[in-house]
Amino acid sequence: MIISTEEKKGHLLVTIQPAEASLNNAEEFKSAITQLLDKGEKRIVISFEKVAYIDSSFLGALVSCLKYAIAKQADISLISLQKDIHNLMHLIRIDKVFSIYNSFEEAIQN
Amino acid sequence: MTSAPVKKILIVEDNELFLKLLDKHFSRAGYDCILASSPSSALTLLEQQIPEIILSDYEMPGMNGFDFRQKLLTNKKFAHIPFVFLTAHSSDGMIMEGLGMQAVDFIDKQTPFPVLTSKIDNIIHTVHQTQELNTEELKKAANALNIKSVPDGPPQLKGFNINFWHKPFQDYPGGDFIDFIGTHERYTFLVLGDVMGKKWQAWFFSFGFLSYVRSAIRICIIDQVYSPARILEKINNVICYDEVLHDVLSSISLVMIDNETQTIKYAGAGDLPLLHHKCATGKTEKVESSGLLPGLMKDGRYEEQQIHMQKDDILLIFSDGMTDFRDETGKHSNYNGFVDLIAPCVIRENSFIFMKTAFTKRFTPEAQVDDCSLIFIQKK
Repeated sequence: MIISTEEKKGHLLVTIQPAEASLNNAEEFKSAITQLLDKGEKRIVISFEKVAYIDSSFLGALVSCLKYAIAKQADISLISLQKDIHNLMHLIRIDKVFSIYNSFEEAIQN
Repeated sequence: MTSAPVKKILIVEDNELFLKLLDKHFSRAGYDCILASSPSSALTLLEQQIPEIILSDYEMPGMNGFDFRQKLLTNKKFAHIPFVFLTAHSSDGMIMEGLGMQAVDFIDKQTPFPVLTSKIDNIIHTVHQTQELNTEELKKAANALNIKSVPDGPPQLKGFNINFWHKPFQDYPGGDFIDFIGTHERYTFLVLGDVMGKKWQAWFFSFGFLSYVRSAIRICIIDQVYSPARILEKINNVICYDEVLHDVLSSISLVMIDNETQTIKYAGAGDLPLLHHKCATGKTEKVESSGLLPGLMKDGRYEEQQIHMQKDDILLIFSDGMTDFRDETGKHSNYNGFVDLIAPCVIRENSFIFMKTAFTKRFTPEAQVDDCSLIFIQKK
């Protein structure tokens, strides 16, 4: 599976499984998150702890999920981004639209 | 010519010793082997990486080869991967059933290893040839329609030398687009965009974006609005309401050159910071913008800035394909690595020629992971 999920302290922790988040799995990821939002999930925390590389196709899928979440009045935050990925998100200003935290605890506190 | 892809094979075999032997022989023949001792572990491995071909045993515990094949056929991500049965069971009935499941071949386990690797080589070669032919046909169709996402050559301007470098991923037209739009004598717009995606799908959407960009520039000029930020605002407004494009994301870097005052204005939308090499100080500095990806939010926060260029200063606009690469440890995204790559080039005369050489060396078929595009501007 592209993601694993775990109910935790009133939030849904979604962990992306592949080390390479790319064109090959972007559509599957988008469809998995869309399904969760359709089921009524309102507070989703996406963990990047296993992801070492992300390409623009996957970033596109991630942003589409965020737009869908906003339309569904749900909240998506990102945690455990490796340095290169965090830098990339900062450089292209995606960090201005996503809530990004170091850890799950930090995310749910905010 | 399309680059020769790495030959990656997934071998599914429950007999550990035979699996090791297959691994040894295919590795020797230049294959990158993914090994699975059961169909269920093969399905897990397929989630991580897609091979060129799958070679599978028939009789395995839990799920046999036919069930495994059926499972793959129901998943559109895996259904297209050429599938070959390698089994000791090869009655005519079984072979017919296996081939009926769109398996490419049914090979006997007794086949000598050199013959087996040659057969697999041939299958992969045929698949590649078919793909190349299809690509050529599509390219021909695109050329016939005269649709291009990259211009034939750079514009000739009075005060600036302009050039560009573009290398699509795996030689497929992709999501990067470059355009040079001269509105009249005075203003020239340089556009670099990157539709998030690769190959044909991204290429198709790049025309939608380019049309919006061109229209927005023309409309703003008619209204006498000479402002890259306002142009991006217009593009954003349209894309936010476009049912087709609102779900497709693309970064845009927009630079406006005023040929009369020799000045440059820039605004960006979800693009990477530009690089400005200042001859006087010898330093290369980032030029950051504030704008978000078009279509992301109604308020895209677009602001523009004037870039003050002195004689011989260089400004580089580029897509993320230039900062991404693959090495022996995997794929990486490294903006600062790109800055290091161009550092020895920008201090030389004919910088662009040295840059092109550096890019050709860096972005080999093995190292390139996305469409690469760069616009080079140097003040005369």
